[in-house]
Amino acid sequence: MNPIALEGLTVRYGSRLAVDGVSLAVPEGAVYALLGRNGAGKSSIVRCLLGEQKPSSGRVSLLGREVWKERASILAEVGVVPEDPDMPPAMSPRQIARFCSRLYPRWDAAGVEARLKRFGVPRDTPFGRLSKGQKGHVALALALAGGPRLLVLDDPTLGLDAVARKAVFEELIGELADRGITVFMTTHDLAGVERIADRVAMLRQGRLVLDEEMETLKRRFRRVSFPRSQAADVSRLEALAPVAVAARGWEVEAVVSNYDEERFSALPPAGQDGAEVSALTLEEIFIALTGEEEER
Amino acid sequence: MPPTLRIDPRDARPIWRQIEEGVQHLVARGALPTGTPVPSVRDLARELQVNPATVSKAYQRLTDAGVLTVRRGEGTFVSELPPPPSDTRRNGRLREEAVRYASLAVTLGADRQEALATFEAAWRSLMAGGSGGEEA
Repeated sequence: MNPIALEGLTVRYGSRLAVDGVSLAVPEGAVYALLGRNGAGKSSIVRCLLGEQKPSSGRVSLLGREVWKERASILAEVGVVPEDPDMPPAMSPRQIARFCSRLYPRWDAAGVEARLKRFGVPRDTPFGRLSKGQKGHVALALALAGGPRLLVLDDPTLGLDAVARKAVFEELIGELADRGITVFMTTHDLAGVERIADRVAMLRQGRLVLDEEMETLKRRFRRVSFPRSQAADVSRLEALAPVAVAARGWEVEAVVSNYDEERFSALPPAGQDGAEVSALTLEEIFIALTGEEEER
Repeated sequence: MPPTLRIDPRDARPIWRQIEEGVQHLVARGALPTGTPVPSVRDLARELQVNPATVSKAYQRLTDAGVLTVRRGEGTFVSELPPPPSDTRRNGRLREEAVRYASLAVTLGADRQEALATFEAAWRSLMAGGSGGEEA
């Protein structure tokens, strides 16, 4: 049973189609990253996942059960870090933790204290007076305290500085090492997630344009660059069907999405001549796949 | 972990292979002498900010290859004995990588002398504790 399964999920707001027939499955123990530009539909999907939004059509199941119907019982087993953690501003993290502890059967009070201490969050300061990073840390500490099987993180490092971001990832890594928890996250922190996610999906205008293992994704994308003087004829790369071509300084760069060495070696010598092949970061792949959105 | 292991997202190799080859590299040049404890999967994952499953995969392969030894209850160590010498797999691997390098050299228009000189330089730098043939 996959901890998360979406089938043909569609969300409409009036006449606007926010999510358009998205199907995906997050396997047990996976760290699954959902990427997409602002407005691509990520938040709508997360809201559906958490039973906060009723799908216009399609199914959303969490831990094998349909969220919209069994929200309360399912969410007791899911840890959630919302994009903008919102808690009673006058209550301190300690008071909030005590309040939450009564709602979960397996609440790890010592774990919350230890995490807040590691994060360096003042435990007796009202939530409303904490910084953005501290609020995020409180949300993560609480999300993990219920001993969840599944963690849903909505851009957990948005607006955090490098130190706070690292602390979030370290906590996640510890959790993965100890309990093999399943993680679903949306994020704009491509450099951070590149090292941790084992599966990546990309949304574009409400549609899933990609959903695959990080390793295969990174293996099939390559940048082929060659000096501008020889670039007049980009058609020499036609056999590789580049997904993006751009002139940068002295060079022309083509991004190829189905690279393999044999195919490249099979190009005519004029195609290989002076060309350099290099790997792409997740961020570069993301830009190649979603960057030209406005022009369409 | 005193000797450094770095992960480069621009490297074409998957992260688990970068860790695997990084550790092999550190062992080969003596930066990790036999019997040295290596960090736990959890610690190395936190240090490199990578998924523990990735480190675990690299450690598993290094253990299978005889580079690392797991002592139950104690942790993982650099093996006392060097990995078993001259089995056919090792020779095959060596030849395969040599062919790869030779064909790359030819593709880039290097002659035999230049290819050998470049290899020599890489070897010397590796033994001197440099980073070997890494590209900038």
